[in-house]
Amino acid sequence: MFGAASTKRDAEESTSADPAPPAAPAAETAAPAPASEVARGAKTVEAKNVDLFYGDFHAVEEVSIKIQPNRVTALIGSSGCGKTTFLRALNRMHELTPGAYVKGEITLDGEDMYGSKVDPVKVRRLVGMVFQAPNPFPTMSIYENVAAGLSLNSRRMKKSDKDAVVERSLRGAHLWEEVKDRLDKPGTGLSGGQQQRLCIARTIAVEPEVLLMDEPCSALDPVATLAVEDLIAELKHRFTIVIVTHNMQQAARASDTTAFFNLERSGDPGRLVEVGPTEEIFTKPKQKATEDYVSGRFG
Amino acid sequence: MAGVRIEYQEELETLEASTLGGLDLASAALARTMEAVEHQDVELAEMVVADDDRIDGRYLEVHQSLIALLATQSPVATDLRLISALLHILKNIERMGDQCVNICKVIPMSGHEPPADPEMLKLILAMGGQTRTLIAQAKRSFEDRNVEMARDLVRQDDVVDNLNRECFQLALEIGDDADRREWAMTMLLAGRAIERIGDNAVDIGEQVAFIVTGLFREFEDASRPS
Amino acid sequence: MTPPDAQQTGPAPQAAGGIAPAITGGILPAWGTWAVLAGAAAVAAAALLATGSFTVALMLVLTVPIACAAIYAWSRSVEGPRRAKDRVVTLAIAAAFALAMIPLISLLYEVAKRGIPGLSVEFFTEDSRGKIGGGGAAHAIVGTLVITGVAAAISVPIGIMTAIYMTEYGAGKKLRKALTFFVDVMTGIPSIVAGLFAYALFELFFGPGIRLGVMGSVALAVLMIPIVIRSAEEVLKIVPNHLREAAYALGTPKWKTIVRIVLPTAFAGLVTGVMIAVARIIGETAPLLVTTGVIDSINSDPFNGRMQNLAVYAYSEYRSPGVMKQASYDRAWAAALVLIAIVMILNVVARLVYRRYKTEIR
Repeated sequence: MFGAASTKRDAEESTSADPAPPAAPAAETAAPAPASEVARGAKTVEAKNVDLFYGDFHAVEEVSIKIQPNRVTALIGSSGCGKTTFLRALNRMHELTPGAYVKGEITLDGEDMYGSKVDPVKVRRLVGMVFQAPNPFPTMSIYENVAAGLSLNSRRMKKSDKDAVVERSLRGAHLWEEVKDRLDKPGTGLSGGQQQRLCIARTIAVEPEVLLMDEPCSALDPVATLAVEDLIAELKHRFTIVIVTHNMQQAARASDTTAFFNLERSGDPGRLVEVGPTEEIFTKPKQKATEDYVSGRFG
Repeated sequence: MAGVRIEYQEELETLEASTLGGLDLASAALARTMEAVEHQDVELAEMVVADDDRIDGRYLEVHQSLIALLATQSPVATDLRLISALLHILKNIERMGDQCVNICKVIPMSGHEPPADPEMLKLILAMGGQTRTLIAQAKRSFEDRNVEMARDLVRQDDVVDNLNRECFQLALEIGDDADRREWAMTMLLAGRAIERIGDNAVDIGEQVAFIVTGLFREFEDASRPS
Repeated sequence: MTPPDAQQTGPAPQAAGGIAPAITGGILPAWGTWAVLAGAAAVAAAALLATGSFTVALMLVLTVPIACAAIYAWSRSVEGPRRAKDRVVTLAIAAAFALAMIPLISLLYEVAKRGIPGLSVEFFTEDSRGKIGGGGAAHAIVGTLVITGVAAAISVPIGIMTAIYMTEYGAGKKLRKALTFFVDVMTGIPSIVAGLFAYALFELFFGPGIRLGVMGSVALAVLMIPIVIRSAEEVLKIVPNHLREAAYALGTPKWKTIVRIVLPTAFAGLVTGVMIAVARIIGETAPLLVTTGVIDSINSDPFNGRMQNLAVYAYSEYRSPGVMKQASYDRAWAAALVLIAIVMILNVVARLVYRRYKTEIR
């Protein structure tokens, strides 16, 4: 199911002299393989006893969770319970905050992404992120925005190959039809929902294995929200998706697995209370705290 | 918006089809029950009883899926009424199945002699046939969301009720023969069961009206005859 | 708002019940303020004439308080105390603004009036070498451009890179705090001190009495760098963090994020900052006096000998005019005019660049 391309990648990783996983394979400098998205495998992400700190402040405590490939996992919970902090640890963005650090192990298909020889930049190329407020680069056109991941990673590409990648990514983000005639216009000239889909196109253009989405629809109107959710349902066939959301109905609609984070008291570290198939979490949750949260009994 | 929430729409359509499929199962069960009654076929009757598991299974499965849909999709408006109606109809279907089982269970008691009263038998079979028509009409009215057709179910059900009363009269006059009396009593039970199936079909019609109008009303009640 | 009194000049519809609704009231007519000003001016003029000490300036000065009092009284009676206060303060602010503009306009007027006679083709094309009583300022103009250009070439990379360090790499670190302190100190250095520093530095290597164009550039750079750092830092801070995060999330190394995302986004602001810094130092005279010296001929090589510039030229033409005094004075004024013109042109260019390249960051 995950095909030859995946095993080829594994072979390259094991034979490369640098044990640092996951190394960007040499094949990336060549033209991108067409229609490779079916064959590519999305990766499993697993966290084992992960603690997250901001300096002295213990933000998230002892989280262990296995995120299944080609599924949508939703992280829900009240404000400040650490779900965004945890999400950002999954692509090594947490440590960008001065003083922030991670304890524990987070693996991508079994390889620890926080290993001592691992380059965080390479991790971030494999684990992409879409943010809460759409943030297209203002100095770039729509075309350049989508291609930004490629040009910023200095992948030399022929123009025709780049065109193909841009079109494929925009189609993948359900945006191609709307912008194909104005690819050279600035990215900031689109509506909110379109901008967010542009950011999604930009993220999938570099073909990560995992997509992290931090409340991707919270800045969008309901129609745009549903459009993005439909997109997510389609993208999960190509990627592993983790989405943080405040909107419980969205978690219920859009995800296969739901993980509920919670705080005992404010100031305490956030903890993972329960994780399970979405249908179960919303029909017969096991923990009382989960039940109280999803039925809106406490905020 | 055409393309939005396709999976959800498709799931809802599938569940509606499953529910109406259950109605077909119930109708088939009734047909076989009538056949068993006509020919005193004990084996056929046992088969109907065993097959009721299928109807119960359908009920549980679709019910669970509908609950899950309610939890995960937050349906509103027509979708919500539809799901509520389907939950009710599933119950009706399950009851119909149970009534067929009740009839089939009394057949072996009908004795080994052929039925004593061809008139009564004809009435029972007529009731069965008419009720099957009722079920078919209920199904049609649901598929088409046709409220007029649903209301007409009341009239159709009246026919069944009248046949049942005639049956009752005949039973009163059946005479002194013990075997014949026993047979007549079991036929009355069968008739009552068939009449209940008819009422369930009318309930389905009421759900059709609920979906379309949003009003939850009984078409006609024992306390308020139309 | 209290309902207006009987004298109303504006509309005040009465409700059927005979009580005016609380939201309507009288309003002064649109020409009201102007009328008051004119009246106050007339009163002031009359008073001054009567006491025999009439000057335009005094009249204007007296007009303001009289107008303020008058408009307050009139507005209060028609519109109520709140609007009256509003009008008075508006008037006072406008007067203060006018007061602030007076020196600027006066300056421009004077320089233009006295400088224009000094302008000529000769002024722009000839230098003073060997010309008794005549000559032009071509050497000064060239010198100013060269010295300022070199100063900018020194300051801009240093300043912007320092600003980049302070915003992108140095957050929370001690070195940054120290740098901020030193930058603050540098903004206060008197320009002559900067000049002496540059002279002392070059004297170390080249011996006493050395005069080079590039020394002037170094002195000006010392003055320019803190300005560039300050404004670049502000502009870089304005670039929203979520743009950097978007780049990081795509797997972009930090330096590349800065070069390809942060700097282009901040580009317009950086250019404006540099232009402002240039405008600030282009007219500095003291440091150039001790570093670049005075010379009569065109020298466009900053590394070879003395160089003239407009500021020093204006000074020397005025200080030691040649045989034809008036011509020298004219040329001095003309040099000042050209300096102002250069600064204006730079400002306009800066605005145009800003408008063309500015990025809307929602």
